[in-house]
Amino acid sequence: MAIQLLGKTFRGHQPIRLAMAKKIYGLGIKNATRICSKLGIYPFMRFHQLNESHVLALTKELNQYTIEDDARRQLRENIAVKRSTGSYVGRRHAMGLPVRGQNTRNNAMTARKLNRVDRRG
Amino acid sequence: MKPSLHLLKRSVWKGPYVVPLPLKEAREKNMPIKTMARSCMILPSFVGLRFQVHNGKTYVPVEITEDMIGTKLGEYAPTRKRFTYKYTANR
Repeated sequence: MAIQLLGKTFRGHQPIRLAMAKKIYGLGIKNATRICSKLGIYPFMRFHQLNESHVLALTKELNQYTIEDDARRQLRENIAVKRSTGSYVGRRHAMGLPVRGQNTRNNAMTARKLNRVDRRG
Repeated sequence: MKPSLHLLKRSVWKGPYVVPLPLKEAREKNMPIKTMARSCMILPSFVGLRFQVHNGKTYVPVEITEDMIGTKLGEYAPTRKRFTYKYTANR
């Protein structure tokens, strides 16, 4: 049985804590664990074991976090501030190169894929 | 930004790394401060001042705004030139 959370589909056999950390942008294992323990979901409980009230409580709890589009917007705003001040970090983002002093002779593929001023995620 | 990350940078008891600069004089005379201290942290008292930060060769003009607080002066004076291919005529 699949369950919808924030417009995302979670299949029934997935462990709640890990699946949330993996699928929801801006939510890591730590925060997912925190949410689960707050709602009394034991660590390896799976989605098919949830009842209706649990799902409602989960959505309510997730609304309080900056996740998904909010997290992405926050990221973009932070980069835009760096860019507008003309700092090294902002310039490296605009060039699509590593920001924290990594080598660029080879690879640097993560930065090349992700770093830009309006970074997507 | 997470406050804890700022704390991880440097011991709290040391405080921010700041060099003595002629701030008062610069404010009175409205003069840019010429400095080589690239690793000096930008404090709230620097806002509105003009600096000339050394980049290894020349002094780059930098105007301090509120967003720059907590970063270093050197971040605003790039030290590397962009690579451009120059065609050599006589070879």
